[in-house]
Amino acid sequence: MMQKILAPLTLALVMLFLIGPFAIIVAASFSAGDTLAFPPQGFSLKWIAKVFTVESFRQSFAMSLFLAIGGTIAALILGIPASYAMARYRLPGAETVRFMVSLPIIVPGIIVGLALLRYFVIPIGLSITLALFLAHTALILPYAVRVVSASLANLRSDMEEAAVLLGASRLGAFFSVVLPNIRGGILSAFILGFVTSFNQVPVSLFLSGPGVRTLPIDMLGYMEIVFDPSVAALSSLLAFLSIGIVFLAERFLGFSRYV
Amino acid sequence: MSDASFLLLDGLTLAYGKTTAVEGLNLSIRRGELVALLGPSGCGKTTTMRAIAGLMPVKSGRIVLDGRDITRTPANRREVGLVFQSYALFPHLTVFENVAFGLRLKGMSGKPLEDRVLTAIASVGLSPFANRKTPELSGGQQQRVALARSMVMEPKVLMLDEPLSNLDARLRLEMRTELQRVQKESGVTMIFVTHDQIEALALADRIVVMRNGAIEQIGTPEDIYNRPESAFVADFVGFENIFALKDGQLVTPGGTAPIADAPADAAALAWRPRAVALGNGPFSGVVRSSSFAGSAREYLLDTPLGPIKAEADAAHPAHDLGDTVSFGLPAATAATLRRFG
Amino acid sequence: MFQNRAEAYALALPAAIFAAIVFLIPVGLLLSEGFRSAQGWTLSAFVDFFSQPLNQKVFLRTLKLGVMVTAAAAVIGYATAYAIVSLPPGAKGRMIGLVVLPLMISPVARTYAWIVILGRTGIVNQALMLVGLTDEPVRFLFTETAVFIGLLQLFLPLMIISLISALENLPKDAVPAARILGANWFQVFWKIILPLTREGLIVGGTLVFTGSLTAYITPAILGGSKVLMLETLLYQQVTVANNFVAASVIAFLLIVMSFSANILLRRIATARNRK
Repeated sequence: MMQKILAPLTLALVMLFLIGPFAIIVAASFSAGDTLAFPPQGFSLKWIAKVFTVESFRQSFAMSLFLAIGGTIAALILGIPASYAMARYRLPGAETVRFMVSLPIIVPGIIVGLALLRYFVIPIGLSITLALFLAHTALILPYAVRVVSASLANLRSDMEEAAVLLGASRLGAFFSVVLPNIRGGILSAFILGFVTSFNQVPVSLFLSGPGVRTLPIDMLGYMEIVFDPSVAALSSLLAFLSIGIVFLAERFLGFSRYV
Repeated sequence: MSDASFLLLDGLTLAYGKTTAVEGLNLSIRRGELVALLGPSGCGKTTTMRAIAGLMPVKSGRIVLDGRDITRTPANRREVGLVFQSYALFPHLTVFENVAFGLRLKGMSGKPLEDRVLTAIASVGLSPFANRKTPELSGGQQQRVALARSMVMEPKVLMLDEPLSNLDARLRLEMRTELQRVQKESGVTMIFVTHDQIEALALADRIVVMRNGAIEQIGTPEDIYNRPESAFVADFVGFENIFALKDGQLVTPGGTAPIADAPADAAALAWRPRAVALGNGPFSGVVRSSSFAGSAREYLLDTPLGPIKAEADAAHPAHDLGDTVSFGLPAATAATLRRFG
Repeated sequence: MFQNRAEAYALALPAAIFAAIVFLIPVGLLLSEGFRSAQGWTLSAFVDFFSQPLNQKVFLRTLKLGVMVTAAAAVIGYATAYAIVSLPPGAKGRMIGLVVLPLMISPVARTYAWIVILGRTGIVNQALMLVGLTDEPVRFLFTETAVFIGLLQLFLPLMIISLISALENLPKDAVPAARILGANWFQVFWKIILPLTREGLIVGGTLVFTGSLTAYITPAILGGSKVLMLETLLYQQVTVANNFVAASVIAFLLIVMSFSANILLRRIATARNRK
C-alpha cells in the first residue's frame, strides 16, 4: 500500500519542518563556539549563562513579564464583567460590544502601536511603559473575553438564581457561585493572554525607548548587532518556559477545552 | 392577613420586553396548600413562578405573601424557595456546603449550622453522601439535595419547577411520595409547575390550569378531571371527543347532529373515549385504526361527526379495520363545558 | 437572562470604552491621515503611494506571498491533517501536540532558527558544498524564498489544526464508500473530502492569509530591506522616512485586507451555525 509509506513520510517531513528549526536553536544554545552555527562546536552552558548576565535582557525580561502579567490581569478585570454581561443579560448592542473588544485581534498590531505612539505618546506625553501596558491589555482583551465567554456558556444561569433565592446578593452570587465554577476558564485565559503578550512583537515595535522595550524587541535588536548564540539560548529558555506553562495548564486545567 | 390568602397574586401582569407573558392574573393560595400550575409550555406558568420568586420583574399588579407586599422585594429577601428543574446545584461544593449555603449567608455557623444542615440532609435520606461533590450524585439524589437546600431555609413558599419530569418512572413515584411527606411534615405552602396532568392530578390539593398567560380553570383534581369548564381543559385531561353545542345540537365538521337531553346552559359537550357508547347508538363510523392497550382496546373511527376516539373493554370481541360500527354519544356521560375553545 | 439594563451596561461598557479609547480612536485617526490633506479630504496619498514602483512591488509581493503561503499550507495541511486523523487516538493526540507546540514558541525564536539553516554557513549551504553542488555559498537569506519558508513554517500549524477538526467531522464512511464506488484518490479528494471540509479550509486559509499579510518578524529577519513587505515597509516609512501619511496608507491597506478576510470568515462561521 502506497499509503502505508506515504502517510508516515509526510508526517515525518512536516514535523521536521515544524520542529526541526526549534531543535536546531536548542542545540545551538549549548554550543561552545562563538558564532551561531549548526552543528554546534562543542558543548557548553556558557551562552545559557550569558543570557542572565546581559543587563538589557534582564530589563526587557522584567518589562515583558510586567506587561504579560499586568496586561492580562487588566484584560481580565475588563473582560470578565463584559463576558458576564453578554452571557447573562439582555444587552442591546451586545454584538457591538463583542465586536469592539474583538477588534484588537483583527487589526494588525503594528498599526495599534503606531497609532498609540502618534496620538498618545508624542502629543500627550503618555509614558511608553503606560502605552505598552494599554496596548498589551487591548491585545489580550479579545482572548480573555473569548475564553471566559466559553466557560460561562457552559455554566447554567439558574445556579446564580438559586444562590439569590438562598439569600445571596447578585454580586455575592457571582463571587460565591459563578467565579469558582469558571476558575479553570479564567486561568486558561490568563495563560493564553500571558503567552500572547509575552511573544508579541508588532504592537511593541514602535513603543520602545531608552531602557524601555519588551524582550522580543530587545532580542531583535541584539541579533542585528551580535551574532553569538546567546539569542538562541534565550529563545530556548523562553520556549521551554512557554511550553512548560502550557503543558502544566493542559495537565491540570484541560486548557485546550477553553481555547 | 388570613390563611385563606396566604399568597395572593393580584392583577399580575408580566412581560418579556414588549411580549406579554401573563396578563391580569388573580390567584389566592391558602397556607399549607399544595397547588399545581398546569399548562402547556408557553402558557405562563413558569413565568408566574419566577415572578413569585422575584426572578422576573412585575409589570403591574401585586404579590402579597403572608400579609406583606413583596412585589418589589428583591429575590434574596423573599423567603421563597425554588427547586429548579435542572436542580441548579453548586458543582464546586459538597452536598453539605450546598445545603449550608443559605444558612451561612444568614450568619449561622458552628454547631447550630451543622446540626440543621445534617438534619436536613438526613430528612431526604442522603446522610451518607454529605461530603460528596454534587456532580457525583445521581439525578434523583441531586434533586433531593436541591429540595433539602431549599427546605433548610424554612421558606414560606416552596416552589418546584417540573419536579418529576427529569426522573424515570420508578424515581418519579418515589419523589412524589417524598414531596407529599415533606409537605405534610413541614406544612409548607407548595407550588409546583408542570405540563403533565397526571403529575398535577396525583400530587396537588388544587390545580390551576393556565393558558396563554391567563388562568383557564381552578379546581380540585376531581373538578379538573371530571368537570372541565372549557374545551381546552377537557382536551388537556383526556376528553378527546369535543363538540360545540348550538340550539341543543352538536356542531360537527359534517353539519349539526341532534343529541338527546342536551343540557341547556352548556356551550359544548366532551366525551372521553371510554364514555363513547360503542355498538349502541344513532351514529355509525368506520374503524380506521385499532390498538390494544392492555385492559382496553382503543379505536379511531371515521364518522360523519369527524374522527371519534372510542374505547372498549378488551374482553369484548375486537372490531377489524374497515368494519362499520354504530356508536352513541350519551349526554349523561359527557362533561358539560361552559366554553368551547 | 437578567433584565436589568443599567447593570448590564455597567458591566460591559468599561471594556468597550477601553477598546474605543485605546484602540478605535487612535487607529481611526491614524487611518484618516491617509485621506487628509491641507485642502480637505483626498485620495492623493493613495495615488502617490501607488505611483511609486517600489510600493507597487511591495504591495504585490505581500499579496503574492500571502497567496503562495496559503496555497502551500493548504496542500501540505491536507496531507498532514489526513495522516494525523487516520492515526490511532493516542498517537493522534501526541501529533496534534507537536503541531501546536510551535505556536507556543516566540516567533522571534522560530524565525531566528532559519538564519542558522539558510545562512551563508548554514546547514543547507554546508550540505550543498559537501555534495559539491556549489563552491560558493548560495544566498538564501534576504530572498523571497526565505520569507516564504519562514511564513509557511510560522502559519502551517494553524492550517493543519483547522483541517484536522474539519476532517474529524467528515462522515466516517464517506471515503471508503467512495472508494468502493470506484473513485481513485484524486477523485475522492476532489469530490468528497474537499467539499466536506471546505469550511475548515476557509477558516485555516483566512488565518494563514491574514497572518502572512500582517507578519512583521519574518520579513524583517529573513527578508530585510531587500524583500520588503507591507509591514516592514510601514516600519521603514515611519522610522527612516518619517512619512506618516504613507504609513497611514499602508495601515489602511493592511486593515482592509485583514478585515475582508475576517468578515468572510465570520460569514461562513454564522452560516454554519444556522444549519
